[in-house]
Amino acid sequence: MHIHKFEKIWLIFGVATLLVFLSVIGVSAFYLGNQPPSCLATINPEQVDTQAPFDKPGLNKVEGKEWDYELVFVASAFNYTPGEVEVPLGAKVKVLATTKDVVHGFNVAGTNINMMLEPGYISEFVTTFDKPGEFLIVCNEYCGAGHHLMSSMIKVVE
Amino acid sequence: MAQPGLEKRTKTKVEDSSSLKGTLASVFLLGFFLIITWVGVFLLFLNRF
Repeated sequence: MHIHKFEKIWLIFGVATLLVFLSVIGVSAFYLGNQPPSCLATINPEQVDTQAPFDKPGLNKVEGKEWDYELVFVASAFNYTPGEVEVPLGAKVKVLATTKDVVHGFNVAGTNINMMLEPGYISEFVTTFDKPGEFLIVCNEYCGAGHHLMSSMIKVVE
Repeated sequence: MAQPGLEKRTKTKVEDSSSLKGTLASVFLLGFFLIITWVGVFLLFLNRF
Protein backbone atom coordinates (compact mmCIF):
# COMPACT_ATOMS: atom_id res chain seq x y z
CA MET A 1 0.00 0.00 0.00
CA HIS A 2 1.33 3.38 -0.96
CA ILE A 3 1.14 6.08 1.69
CA HIS A 4 2.14 9.61 0.78
CA LYS A 5 5.10 10.97 2.69
CA PHE A 6 3.04 13.80 4.18
CA GLU A 7 0.35 11.38 5.29
CA LYS A 8 2.97 9.37 7.15
CA ILE A 9 4.18 12.55 8.86
CA TRP A 10 0.78 13.63 10.17
CA LEU A 11 -0.27 10.10 11.09
CA ILE A 12 2.85 9.67 13.23
CA PHE A 13 2.41 13.17 14.68
CA GLY A 14 -1.26 12.54 15.51
CA VAL A 15 -0.65 9.16 17.12
CA ALA A 16 2.32 10.51 19.12
CA THR A 17 0.26 13.44 20.40
CA LEU A 18 -2.53 11.09 21.43
CA LEU A 19 -0.05 8.88 23.28
CA VAL A 20 1.36 11.89 25.15
CA PHE A 21 -2.12 13.05 26.20
CA LEU A 22 -3.14 9.54 27.32
CA SER A 23 0.16 9.03 29.19
CA VAL A 24 -0.47 12.19 31.20
CA ILE A 25 -3.88 10.86 32.24
CA GLY A 26 -2.39 7.42 32.95
CA VAL A 27 0.40 8.83 35.14
CA SER A 28 -2.11 11.07 36.92
CA ALA A 29 -4.46 8.18 37.68
CA PHE A 30 -2.14 5.21 38.35
CA TYR A 31 1.07 6.84 39.59
CA LEU A 32 -0.19 9.98 41.34
CA GLY A 33 -3.39 8.25 42.45
CA ASN A 34 -5.80 10.92 41.26
CA GLN A 35 -9.41 9.82 41.10
CA PRO A 36 -12.81 11.40 40.49
CA PRO A 37 -14.14 13.41 43.49
CA SER A 38 -16.98 10.94 43.99
CA CYS A 39 -15.28 7.57 44.07
CA LEU A 40 -17.53 4.95 45.68
CA ALA A 41 -17.58 6.48 49.19
CA THR A 42 -21.22 6.28 50.29
CA ILE A 43 -23.40 7.61 53.11
CA ASN A 44 -27.07 7.38 54.05
CA PRO A 45 -28.39 10.78 52.92
CA GLU A 46 -31.06 10.77 55.65
CA GLN A 47 -28.50 10.40 58.45
CA VAL A 48 -25.86 12.83 57.24
CA ASP A 49 -26.12 15.03 60.36
CA THR A 50 -25.40 12.16 62.75
CA GLN A 51 -22.56 10.48 60.89
CA ALA A 52 -18.89 11.37 61.13
CA PRO A 53 -17.37 13.51 59.77
CA PHE A 54 -20.55 15.29 58.68
CA ASP A 55 -21.82 15.70 62.25
CA LYS A 56 -19.11 18.37 62.64
CA PRO A 57 -19.10 20.57 59.51
CA GLY A 58 -16.22 23.00 59.18
CA LEU A 59 -12.45 22.77 59.42
CA ASN A 60 -11.24 19.95 61.67
CA LYS A 61 -7.61 19.22 62.50
CA VAL A 62 -6.69 15.57 62.02
CA GLU A 63 -3.66 13.54 63.06
CA GLY A 64 -1.85 10.70 61.39
CA LYS A 65 -3.18 11.27 57.90
CA GLU A 66 -1.61 12.52 54.71
CA TRP A 67 -3.45 15.81 55.18
CA ASP A 68 -3.49 18.20 58.18
CA TYR A 69 -7.14 19.24 58.11
CA GLU A 70 -10.47 17.96 56.96
CA LEU A 71 -12.82 20.60 55.61
CA VAL A 72 -16.34 19.21 55.89
CA PHE A 73 -19.28 20.69 54.01
CA VAL A 74 -22.93 19.64 54.06
CA ALA A 75 -25.08 20.96 51.23
CA SER A 76 -28.84 21.16 51.29
CA ALA A 77 -31.46 23.24 49.51
CA PHE A 78 -30.36 26.04 49.42
CA ASN A 79 -27.25 26.53 51.54
CA TYR A 80 -23.92 25.13 52.58
CA THR A 81 -22.91 24.39 56.15
CA PRO A 82 -20.64 26.13 57.13
CA GLY A 83 -21.57 29.36 55.38
CA GLU A 84 -18.06 30.71 55.80
CA VAL A 85 -14.82 29.12 56.92
CA GLU A 86 -11.22 30.18 57.48
CA VAL A 87 -8.32 27.99 56.38
CA PRO A 88 -4.68 28.69 57.32
CA LEU A 89 -2.41 29.44 54.38
CA GLY A 90 -0.37 26.45 53.24
CA ALA A 91 -2.54 23.86 54.96
CA LYS A 92 -2.96 20.51 53.27
CA VAL A 93 -6.67 19.90 53.38
CA LYS A 94 -9.05 17.14 52.42
CA VAL A 95 -12.35 18.66 51.39
CA LEU A 96 -15.25 16.31 52.10
CA ALA A 97 -18.76 17.19 51.03
CA THR A 98 -22.12 15.57 50.61
CA THR A 99 -25.75 16.55 50.17
CA LYS A 100 -28.82 15.82 52.27
CA ASP A 101 -31.40 16.15 49.52
CA VAL A 102 -30.88 16.67 45.80
CA VAL A 103 -27.85 16.92 43.55
CA HIS A 104 -25.83 20.07 44.26
CA GLY A 105 -22.63 21.48 42.84
CA PHE A 106 -19.56 22.45 44.83
CA ASN A 107 -17.37 24.79 42.83
CA VAL A 108 -14.73 26.87 44.61
CA ALA A 109 -14.39 29.60 42.01
CA GLY A 110 -10.90 30.04 40.59
CA THR A 111 -9.57 26.72 41.92
CA ASN A 112 -9.52 23.08 40.88
CA ILE A 113 -12.08 22.19 43.55
CA ASN A 114 -15.16 21.48 41.49
CA MET A 115 -17.32 18.56 42.52
CA MET A 116 -20.83 17.28 42.03
CA LEU A 117 -22.56 16.34 45.28
CA GLU A 118 -24.96 13.45 44.87
CA PRO A 119 -27.28 12.19 47.61
CA GLY A 120 -25.79 9.03 49.08
CA TYR A 121 -22.25 9.75 47.94
CA ILE A 122 -19.29 11.54 49.54
CA SER A 123 -17.21 13.77 47.29
CA GLU A 124 -13.58 14.32 48.26
CA PHE A 125 -10.73 16.51 47.06
CA VAL A 126 -7.26 16.82 48.60
CA THR A 127 -5.34 20.03 47.99
CA THR A 128 -2.94 22.52 49.55
CA PHE A 129 -4.34 26.01 50.05
CA ASP A 130 -1.23 27.91 48.97
CA LYS A 131 -2.82 31.19 47.87
CA PRO A 132 -4.32 33.66 50.35
CA GLY A 133 -7.65 35.29 49.65
CA GLU A 134 -11.38 34.79 49.63
CA PHE A 135 -12.76 32.01 47.50
CA LEU A 136 -16.44 31.89 46.71
CA ILE A 137 -18.18 28.53 46.68
CA VAL A 138 -21.11 28.30 44.31
CA CYS A 139 -23.59 25.62 43.35
CA ASN A 140 -23.19 24.79 39.69
CA GLU A 141 -25.84 22.07 39.41
CA TYR A 142 -29.36 23.41 39.12
CA CYS A 143 -31.05 22.29 42.35
CA GLY A 144 -34.28 24.27 42.55
CA ALA A 145 -35.81 27.72 42.97
CA GLY A 146 -33.07 28.98 45.32
CA HIS A 147 -30.16 27.61 43.31
CA HIS A 148 -28.71 31.03 42.55
CA LEU A 149 -28.72 32.00 46.26
CA MET A 150 -26.62 29.02 47.29
CA SER A 151 -23.09 30.03 48.22
CA SER A 152 -20.38 29.82 50.85
CA MET A 153 -16.92 31.30 51.31
CA ILE A 154 -13.46 29.94 52.05
CA LYS A 155 -11.05 32.52 53.47
CA VAL A 156 -7.42 31.49 53.22
CA VAL A 157 -5.61 33.51 55.89
CA GLU A 158 -2.03 33.68 57.18
CA MET B 1 0.94 37.37 -40.19
CA ALA B 2 2.57 38.23 -36.98
CA GLN B 3 1.34 36.52 -33.89
CA PRO B 4 2.68 38.61 -31.02
CA GLY B 5 1.08 36.45 -28.44
CA LEU B 6 3.30 33.54 -29.27
CA GLU B 7 6.46 35.22 -28.00
CA LYS B 8 4.94 36.36 -24.74
CA ARG B 9 3.87 32.94 -23.59
CA THR B 10 4.46 32.98 -19.86
CA LYS B 11 5.14 29.93 -17.84
CA THR B 12 2.58 29.52 -15.12
CA LYS B 13 3.49 27.33 -12.21
CA VAL B 14 1.12 24.44 -12.25
CA GLU B 15 1.21 22.42 -9.07
CA ASP B 16 0.48 18.75 -9.28
CA SER B 17 -3.17 18.35 -8.34
CA SER B 18 -2.26 15.44 -6.07
CA SER B 19 0.04 17.68 -3.98
CA LEU B 20 -0.73 17.53 -0.24
CA LYS B 21 1.22 20.62 0.80
CA GLY B 22 -1.90 22.59 1.72
CA THR B 23 -3.35 19.61 3.56
CA LEU B 24 -0.12 19.17 5.52
CA ALA B 25 -0.13 22.82 6.48
CA SER B 26 -3.76 22.77 7.61
CA VAL B 27 -3.36 19.51 9.52
CA PHE B 28 -0.41 20.92 11.46
CA LEU B 29 -2.17 24.22 12.00
CA LEU B 30 -5.05 22.33 13.64
CA GLY B 31 -2.61 20.05 15.47
CA PHE B 32 -0.65 22.92 17.01
CA PHE B 33 -3.88 24.70 17.94
CA LEU B 34 -5.02 21.59 19.84
CA ILE B 35 -1.65 21.21 21.57
CA ILE B 36 -1.43 24.88 22.58
CA THR B 37 -4.96 24.94 24.01
CA TRP B 38 -4.41 21.59 25.79
CA VAL B 39 -1.15 22.78 27.34
CA GLY B 40 -2.83 26.07 28.31
CA VAL B 41 -5.60 24.29 30.20
CA PHE B 42 -3.10 21.91 31.79
CA LEU B 43 -0.94 24.80 33.05
CA LEU B 44 -4.07 26.46 34.44
CA PHE B 45 -4.81 23.18 36.27
CA LEU B 46 -1.27 23.01 37.69
CA ASN B 47 -1.19 26.64 38.82
CA ARG B 48 -4.44 26.45 40.78
CA PHE B 49 -4.96 24.71 44.07
